[in-house]
Amino acid sequence: MTIRIDRRTFLKGAAAGSLAAAGWPLLGRLGVPCGSFDASASDGGSPVLAVAVAGNPDAMVRGAVGALGGMSRFVRRGDVVVVKPNIGWDRTPEQAANTNPEVVRTVVRMCLEAGAKKVRVVDRPCNDPRRCYKQSGIKDAVESIGNPAAVIEHADPRMFIEKEIRNGKTLQRWTFYKDVLEADRTINVPIAKHHNASRLTMSLKNIMGILGGNRGNIHHDLDRNIVELNTVMRFDLIVLDAVRILTANGPQGGRLQDVRVADTIVAGTDPVAVDSYGATLFGITGKDVPHVLYASQQGLGEIDLKKVRILKV
Amino acid sequence: MNTDTEGTLAAPRKPGARIRTLRRVSQWSVFLLFVFLFLNTEYKDNDVLPYAVNLFLRLDPLMAGAASLAGRALITLVWPALVLALLTVFFGRFFCGWVCPLGAVIDAADATVFRKTPRGGAVPASWRRYKFLILFFLAVSSLFTLQWVFLFDPISILIRTFTVSVYPAMNLVLHQVFDGLYRMPGPIPRISEPVYGFLKSHFLAFEQPVFRTSAFVGLLFLGILAAERYQRRFWCRNLCPLGGLLGLMGRFGLFRRRITAEGCTRCGLCESNCRMGATGNDVAVTDHGACIECMDCQAVCPEEVIHFSGTEGRRPAAVDLTRRGVLASVALGAVTVPFFRVEAHGKAQDPLLIRPPGALPEGEFLGRCTRCGECMRVCIANGLQPTWFEAGIEGMWSPVLVPRIGYCEYNCTLCGQVCPTGAIRRLPLQEKRKVKLGLAYVDRSRCLPWKGESDCIVCEEHCPTGSKAIVLKEEKTLTQGGEWKTFKKPYIEDALCVGCGICETKCPLTDRAAVLVTSRGETRSTGVLAR
Repeated sequence: MTIRIDRRTFLKGAAAGSLAAAGWPLLGRLGVPCGSFDASASDGGSPVLAVAVAGNPDAMVRGAVGALGGMSRFVRRGDVVVVKPNIGWDRTPEQAANTNPEVVRTVVRMCLEAGAKKVRVVDRPCNDPRRCYKQSGIKDAVESIGNPAAVIEHADPRMFIEKEIRNGKTLQRWTFYKDVLEADRTINVPIAKHHNASRLTMSLKNIMGILGGNRGNIHHDLDRNIVELNTVMRFDLIVLDAVRILTANGPQGGRLQDVRVADTIVAGTDPVAVDSYGATLFGITGKDVPHVLYASQQGLGEIDLKKVRILKV
Repeated sequence: MNTDTEGTLAAPRKPGARIRTLRRVSQWSVFLLFVFLFLNTEYKDNDVLPYAVNLFLRLDPLMAGAASLAGRALITLVWPALVLALLTVFFGRFFCGWVCPLGAVIDAADATVFRKTPRGGAVPASWRRYKFLILFFLAVSSLFTLQWVFLFDPISILIRTFTVSVYPAMNLVLHQVFDGLYRMPGPIPRISEPVYGFLKSHFLAFEQPVFRTSAFVGLLFLGILAAERYQRRFWCRNLCPLGGLLGLMGRFGLFRRRITAEGCTRCGLCESNCRMGATGNDVAVTDHGACIECMDCQAVCPEEVIHFSGTEGRRPAAVDLTRRGVLASVALGAVTVPFFRVEAHGKAQDPLLIRPPGALPEGEFLGRCTRCGECMRVCIANGLQPTWFEAGIEGMWSPVLVPRIGYCEYNCTLCGQVCPTGAIRRLPLQEKRKVKLGLAYVDRSRCLPWKGESDCIVCEEHCPTGSKAIVLKEEKTLTQGGEWKTFKKPYIEDALCVGCGICETKCPLTDRAAVLVTSRGETRSTGVLAR
């Protein structure tokens, strides 16, 4: 039952609307396929989440991705993979404003182990990118792997290409990072944290890091815009870092009293399900987070955790 | 007649030619060191810069003296200047020929652009006194706390020009060239991109820097080089006050040019090859204040009677000064000061004059600031910019934070690390975070949530203080459509705001931001919010 769809094929297919014609189940109002993009991580149509609790970050990531069938279900030999953590801020790992560096390192390592030809780690931060890469510990983490196939790169301003947002209400087009659009496989590695505008930021909101242009303008109708931007591309795998979560003053944080150790990793392919589960770590549900709710209404995924198969690790 | 140039005469058989080669090697190695330090005046994953990138300014006795005088402080940072001063006393004005990176650039311009330019006596010999007059003017005005040395100091000029003009321009050109190649078809990008990648990691700026006054600074610099059209080392001979100071210090140095009287045929080759015009009509007489010990004369002397050594031949030519000129420059140095001090900005400071974190109070700050641009070069967000006249003519090219261009990075202390005179204090991170550069305020008639247009939160999100200095409060607002709706409106917490300006930088309004920073409440003055 493993159905593999090549990323490029998918994009072409989506553009042509051929997926709609094929009667893809649960087609969203925005014309985007929903449910599981990669059928290998779904279970007869209902999405699957793997949740690892307790243990060190490395073990939790391995446990969660392993429960979904292992990284080789997402990354083939010879693939070019983009790993997209959240490296938004000039903050240290303890401050929980960026993805945990050990989580990123393990994800990259697993891609290499699965035979990836190249693993690129990239983000477009809010503070000075050099400081963010360094302070977050992610640069050192990736470089400590010591494999030239794994690189952490700063976004090249030439490489943002414009994409149409079909049926977009406020945004009709926006620029996206070329390397992400053209990669064979993409892995979203967000951190779960508080956000003063979108309430929480997890996998759906993390798409902001691959956007060009003046991202400030996206905030004017943020919840809707996050969802519409997510119709342009979909990550092949999401590994949500909730080792430490930021519970207030997000997204940048800075105070240790706002940080809570949750020691959780959530892996899945359905961004709405992942974020919906992530919300529970903050004592709320996905429906309390407007953009997650809106994403589910637009058919980007399953918000009702009762309809999700959750594999506890 | 001066068509002879260094290259054509360089048959290195004589010992004089060897030492000339040594001098050139010294000049260019120092210049490379200068470039190396310049390129490393940048954040490279180290919160503390590993090199003393400001070495050249701290080596400069003119700047050290003027900053100490005008700033009324013994500035210990500039101790290397003392070393250079002592060396000069013993060895003469060697700095200009062996060390000065501006001298190297001028020589390079000379050897390339003006190689074949016939240059007669277009410039009167008496002009060389101007450098002394400028020096006296600057010394006296510094004594009266007006420090204008930055306008003439060669090291300040060179670093400022590289920072503000040359490097950004070079960066722009290279980016555009490689951008063009990148868009070319076929295998071209495959060849050009690795080169570009190498340049990006070793030479090019992380982001294209932009600076106010860049074209002006660049043109002034071109002027210095263009003056070579009329005379070799025009700048060094006639205008450079550092050269003047070193010349005065080194006049009686032990190491100096001398000529063995017997054997000299008065052929004049040494005179026509002297880049400084340091020999008089009698070639045996040397103006030791002008001689920069480049050793060219020794290399070209066919009789090999010119030597650079100690003891013999102590016949320093008189310094070419008139009493009237000296008195005038001294008087001018004193008299002009009050004119600067009655400029209106002294009473009503420009509210946008936001100084770098750790800057001294304005008076001491301007006394010490060398306008070298090191702080602007190292400023990670390109926020520190040279002033035009916001701080008066006196304060020209001093650093000001322009948040719409770039903000002060909360966890960065680099500007204080590179300041050669301590005009910006070197603060530990914990202390720097507490420094208030100013205070933000919200323009409620433009701010999107305040005027009922949409929610935004960008300023709040970027505010770096742990407990946010920008807080959002949900309140009802009358929209332009006439409905009451709830929006998250930003409020500034004055006690927490450090005036870093990231809110103003990131405010998504395209022209003027709706959240703005002024110098109100800055720590370095009073820290008081109202007067």
